[in-house]
Amino acid sequence: MKLSYYPGCSLEGMASDYARSIDTVFKDLGIDLIEIEDWSCCGATAAHSLSEMMSVALPARNLAEAEKLGLDIVAPCARCFNSLRFSQQMIKRQLFDIPWQVAGEIQVHDMTRFLAEPSMIKLIKERIRKPLNGLKVVCYYGCQMVRPPKITGFTDYENPQTLDRIAAAIGAEVIDWSYKSTCCGASIGIARKEIGESLTRRILQKAQQTGAEAIVVSCPLCQSNLDIIQKNASGILTPVFYFTELIRLAFEENGSQKWFRQHITDPVGLLREKGLLN
Amino acid sequence: MLVGHVFQKAKLIRKSLFGECETMYKNLPDQEAAPEPGFRKERKLIGDRGNYFLNRMQGETGVNISACFQCERCTNACPVSHFMDTKPHQVIRYVQLGWREDLLNSSTIWVCLSCEMCTTYCPNEVGVAEIINHLRNMAAHSPITPKERNLAIFHQTFLEELQRFGRVNEFWLMKSYNLKPNILKEKIKTGMLKEELLLGLTLWRKGRLRLAHPRTKAIKEIKEVYRQKRGEIA
Repeated sequence: MKLSYYPGCSLEGMASDYARSIDTVFKDLGIDLIEIEDWSCCGATAAHSLSEMMSVALPARNLAEAEKLGLDIVAPCARCFNSLRFSQQMIKRQLFDIPWQVAGEIQVHDMTRFLAEPSMIKLIKERIRKPLNGLKVVCYYGCQMVRPPKITGFTDYENPQTLDRIAAAIGAEVIDWSYKSTCCGASIGIARKEIGESLTRRILQKAQQTGAEAIVVSCPLCQSNLDIIQKNASGILTPVFYFTELIRLAFEENGSQKWFRQHITDPVGLLREKGLLN
Repeated sequence: MLVGHVFQKAKLIRKSLFGECETMYKNLPDQEAAPEPGFRKERKLIGDRGNYFLNRMQGETGVNISACFQCERCTNACPVSHFMDTKPHQVIRYVQLGWREDLLNSSTIWVCLSCEMCTTYCPNEVGVAEIINHLRNMAAHSPITPKERNLAIFHQTFLEELQRFGRVNEFWLMKSYNLKPNILKEKIKTGMLKEELLLGLTLWRKGRLRLAHPRTKAIKEIKEVYRQKRGEIA
């Protein structure tokens, strides 16, 4: 099975551990990820804030490159997935002039949704060597992955299930909560710190109130927001994992501490306590 | 007495003819009572702008703005509505009334996170987030100074970085953002700079910062799109 892969800018910088875990997980599953050649940034929030035309044109270049490969795209970053989908819909409506040859016919998958399909869940279950028994987690989806449903195609946008299904498949105990898709503030914390912190802190508090020991995310920005806010915190710390990191942990007999080196909130203690890491 | 009455009438007619409606309204007795807190002091005329702005917004965004019945579902769903001066449901009403300047001067359009809560939960499928986003576009292309200056500068910096390298790197983005006028000064004053540098150091130690800037080969094509956007001819 082959897929074209659009990593996005974050996976080269702040979330390079996410990128590494994706590589190993897909290798283990026997799926070839072919990186889109010479991809460029999707524009993120800034592009559609300042110029709607750019928010269609920038992802269109990546779509054009992927169409050359002729494979469906899978995007790990929520914002990238959203912009690719948005751009594709706009191209189909032919509202903008785009300098690249794009038909907009290729399927764009969100990585969590792709791995949460029944066939993939079965594949994941087959590869598990060490299930994550006893690890209580809540799944946090963020906003860009599920909303607006007209663009993302999520029908269960109020209570999305993709990460929950994956986390349950690898043996973790998934706790239901109501802040699954509340916004974490994204990049607003850079310019207006108090807004960003108030939003992120609320999500963290609610996650801790449910009794969860860790948060599972799929968006690089959500991870860094939830992780960095705990840097000076005392008391209970709630590590924030990318979902592929947990899959990777379940796939291998002996996990390594090095995989979690990039976390600000150190998860090694928790994992050792649960007997998941030597 | 009769002459005085006629004079007053003539004055009123002249005022209404020359468009001094607002001052006329101010002289009405009910306005003299102290306004309740939260009410705008100068009263605006409702419907004096016509449908021009409403039609324009509906045409450009493809959203049926007239369908809004002010149920305030959007404002209740919004995670940042308490940081906004004009609430999301008011934004829709202002568009219907054609109060363009109030909207472009508001902090709402910059504080909005585009999290799409409002659009998703609207019972009438009014795309509130799309409208706010379009207003932000309009504000960015107008001479109006943005009310949330730092947020506007951040978006601008992001696009500039993108235009230079084709991809965005967190370290370089923060560097360029901090070098924008007044940002560094503000940060030194509030002590944010020290905090940020310490955070940067921790991130670097953990191996999360990449100092070398990744680039795309197709940077020329991307710059071309920018030129088109600005209406320049190559």
